[in-house]
Amino acid sequence: MEDTLTIADRSFTSRLFIGTGKYASNRIMAESIRASGSEMVTVALRRVDIENENDDMICAIDRDRCVLLPNTSGARDAAEAVRLARLARAAGGIHWIKLEVTPDPYYLLPDGTETLKAAQQLVADGFVVLPYINADPILAKKLQDIGTATVMPLASPIGSNQGLKTRAAIEIIIEQAVVPVVVDAGLGSPSHAAEAMEMGADAVLVNTAIATAQDPVAMARAFKLAVEAGRMAFNAGQATRQKTASASSPLTGFLRKE
Amino acid sequence: MATLRINGTDREFPENTLPATLLDLLTILQIDQATVVAEIDGAIIERKNFTATPLHTGQSIELVRFVGGG
Repeated sequence: MEDTLTIADRSFTSRLFIGTGKYASNRIMAESIRASGSEMVTVALRRVDIENENDDMICAIDRDRCVLLPNTSGARDAAEAVRLARLARAAGGIHWIKLEVTPDPYYLLPDGTETLKAAQQLVADGFVVLPYINADPILAKKLQDIGTATVMPLASPIGSNQGLKTRAAIEIIIEQAVVPVVVDAGLGSPSHAAEAMEMGADAVLVNTAIATAQDPVAMARAFKLAVEAGRMAFNAGQATRQKTASASSPLTGFLRKE
Repeated sequence: MATLRINGTDREFPENTLPATLLDLLTILQIDQATVVAEIDGAIIERKNFTATPLHTGQSIELVRFVGGG
């Protein structure tokens, strides 16, 4: 049976979602997305630079293979996030939204209270809401209870590449979750992504670690393989961890006098 | 002079040259309307209504589009 991930009414074969920020060019972004095998990529919404019209980056994305997930990045409170979500829906006809409310510009940590408030409004407004949250099991539960499509706890601060600093809390979130858990932010290397998948995360979202690698296309492929390996390991059921050694070879028949 | 506040910056138009509709404004600014969404005084204007949306002096217009992001 194929191991697909279902979020709301959509099925995904790939459990790796990609952010489209920080790429050196649209071409490298497009090639990296392809190499990653991802079927959903995030985008942001910003003012048009009227003096310097840039190429439209959306054209570079193969939208037959990959759906867009607009985010509410830049929102500092619930009202700004709801406004951005509605603009994104008008811009792309997309009612899926990665909800992020980050009032603190230094660590970009999400504001749980405002995120919950915005999520309530957006769910009521018919959005499929994927909220970016701190690794807070209570908040994760409240969000799934009000009808968000996923919860997306952070591994470590956005773009920090520190890996799974919140491991213990994410384990609790996964244990309690009735919606898919997508580990987002801070995954700096394929081994971090594999670790999250081995723990039982349903998917991961990666941007900086791929976009700012020396060879983003090769790194995208490395993440693809790591996510697949991590998922496969989770499904395989890991062997038990123990403190003392347990010999792999027989403890009889040694070539010694005793 | 007629004034429109576009993406936070005031733009002045000599008398009788204020773009008649949102679509006219995008054409003057050489912005591809297919990729843009607009908000006038806080109200979202759907792309299909760009031609039917008249502009008036003093309005605050936001023109936004998708960019790369995580």
